[in-house]
Amino acid sequence: MATDKVPTFALMFGVICAVLYVVCTEVNLPLVTYHPVIGEIDWLYQPPRRGPTMYWYGWMLTSAIGAVPLALLATAVPEPWLQRALTFACVLAVAYLAVSTLALWVYDNATVELEFLKWRWPSLAAAVIVAAIATAIAPAAWNKRLWHGWIWLVPVGALGVLAYYLTPYFTR
Amino acid sequence: MIFWTTLLIIHGLLALALLGAVTHQTAALWWPVRAPAGSFVTRFRAVPGTSYVTAVIVLYIITFIMGAWIYTQYRFTSRLALEQLRFFKTVGAFELKEHVATIGLLLLPAYWAFWRAPLNPDPRARKQVTLLLAILVWASFLIGHITNNARGMGS
Repeated sequence: MATDKVPTFALMFGVICAVLYVVCTEVNLPLVTYHPVIGEIDWLYQPPRRGPTMYWYGWMLTSAIGAVPLALLATAVPEPWLQRALTFACVLAVAYLAVSTLALWVYDNATVELEFLKWRWPSLAAAVIVAAIATAIAPAAWNKRLWHGWIWLVPVGALGVLAYYLTPYFTR
Repeated sequence: MIFWTTLLIIHGLLALALLGAVTHQTAALWWPVRAPAGSFVTRFRAVPGTSYVTAVIVLYIITFIMGAWIYTQYRFTSRLALEQLRFFKTVGAFELKEHVATIGLLLLPAYWAFWRAPLNPDPRARKQVTLLLAILVWASFLIGHITNNARGMGS
């Protein structure tokens, strides 16, 4: 790997791994399952056998194994393309969150049954359109180089999502 | 229990060393000294940040591995007790800590890359990743401390 590719690999690894970790946590995709009481390890997801199970190690392994080849692949992609891809993905995530939240709010407050507002794909389609427009109209200077700020923005966003899913612990 | 308590003490001491190193480095990077060092605070900020990189990475990895090891014992002893005592906020905070520590771990390659010699004259990426790492280390340390106070050594 060329010397100047090292920061790109490191940045993309951090960004991709953070996203994959959130996905693995929420969809429950562990590479291994650990049973602490009996001290045994199983491949992939396994239900509890005796005592509680631990999936955290498995989530980390899955996300790291997924992130390494993708980050290596990213080093072969020109920086402006990477920048566009990351801009698209981040706007897509924020737009999907905003649109689906708005749709659910309207559904909850509407006086008639609007079942389609609960579907995910219309929100996703709207978010794709918003992200495509935002990426297309982004200034040329923004797309010239890979913005290093992704390395804090994406992990902080990932942590926000993970923290949101833990709110039941704090509202009981 | 002596074994796990010893591990927990070592884990805490390593975390303290990591906290000191990353805080020193962050202060020196974000609040560099312009005049010769005089007061304690000025000296605290006057350290060369580059010399802390290896120490921070090594300390983070060792502290993380020890924490991940102790976690296996926590999962079926302390956590069950915390749930029975209905300390859900403490359990939730510790769940958050596992994510915070993981996010910090996956930042380490970028942290190393941005601190690598020769240093990029633009310090923004270095400053951002170092500050985030410091915040994550502080959060992990405080949550671990709170959990230990709720159901840790000697309880």
